Amino acid sequence: MGEVIVITSGKGGVGKTTTTANIGIGLSELGKKVMVIDTDLGLRNLDVVMGLENRIVYNIVDVIEGNCRLKQALVKDKRFPELYLLPSAQTRDKTSISPEQMKKLIEDIREEFDFILLDCPAGIEQGFQNAIAGADRSIVVTTPEVSAIRDADRIIGLLEASGIRKNELLINRLRIDMVKRGDMMSVDDVTEILAVDLLGVIPDDEQVVIATNQGEPVVGEDGLAGSAYMNICRRLLGEDIPMEDYMKPEGLLKKLSSIFQRN
Amino acid sequence: MSVHSVSIAKERLKNLLITDRIQCTPDAADRLTKDLYHTVSKYMEVKADQFDIEITRNDIHIKYAGENK
Repeated sequence: MGEVIVITSGKGGVGKTTTTANIGIGLSELGKKVMVIDTDLGLRNLDVVMGLENRIVYNIVDVIEGNCRLKQALVKDKRFPELYLLPSAQTRDKTSISPEQMKKLIEDIREEFDFILLDCPAGIEQGFQNAIAGADRSIVVTTPEVSAIRDADRIIGLLEASGIRKNELLINRLRIDMVKRGDMMSVDDVTEILAVDLLGVIPDDEQVVIATNQGEPVVGEDGLAGSAYMNICRRLLGEDIPMEDYMKPEGLLKKLSSIFQRN
Repeated sequence: MSVHSVSIAKERLKNLLITDRIQCTPDAADRLTKDLYHTVSKYMEVKADQFDIEITRNDIHIKYAGENK
């Protein structure tokens, strides 16, 4: 039976959708059958980040209202082995679906997939309640900023109160240079304050912006963010992948090789 | 002398989380600490400078001898 994971944050703009897309694609590349669901009604984005915006016919509200069968609404991402998107509805609002309907939808489909990832809207209102209704566990995305961490704390409290016990943190857009000079909270600072398990850290990487412009993934690509996302996928599969240490000083070998590269 | 901005961020964040978690003002959080100190000191010997409380999402930890947790 598939595992249902909600990707949430409280604060907007911290990278929930990018994270959902890249973890979904990464798990698919690792051989899992994956469905990603955009639960942000009225602000449809996951399809755009994945580059599938021109292939949408039906959406999640159509499925729930019975206007179409689930299979008709699913967009298969042909670039990857077994990856399916259930798009959100751009012209409807969050009251078009109830948490009970969402729960039933997920119960109906979870047998068929290894992973179901739910991209949650920002905020703590009905859209959030809908997104978490059918979830077994969560990935709480934050950036190393006071406002985002504050919202993450609130969200973890709400998830725990809703009976979701496994809530893991993803720290996004870590600026290694700023942490080193004491102008950005470190991974340890954030995990100590939030007192929650860490799933992974994504360093700030302009490749993410470039890939998103093109509707392409970064996961699995060379580069800091691409390999960090792939490590997160492997951790989700139960592999024991140690946390990347971005704070260690550059090794002698690397320094030497950069000197030789210059010449 | 310049202070690294991380220490300011952490201080602000800690205060925010305390007031968010127990849903009160910073002033009320201070009063809670004082009230708990008075209550505990009725039953055991505690020194004010070694007494502190930590408010997490689920519990309130009382430190009374300066040790960590």
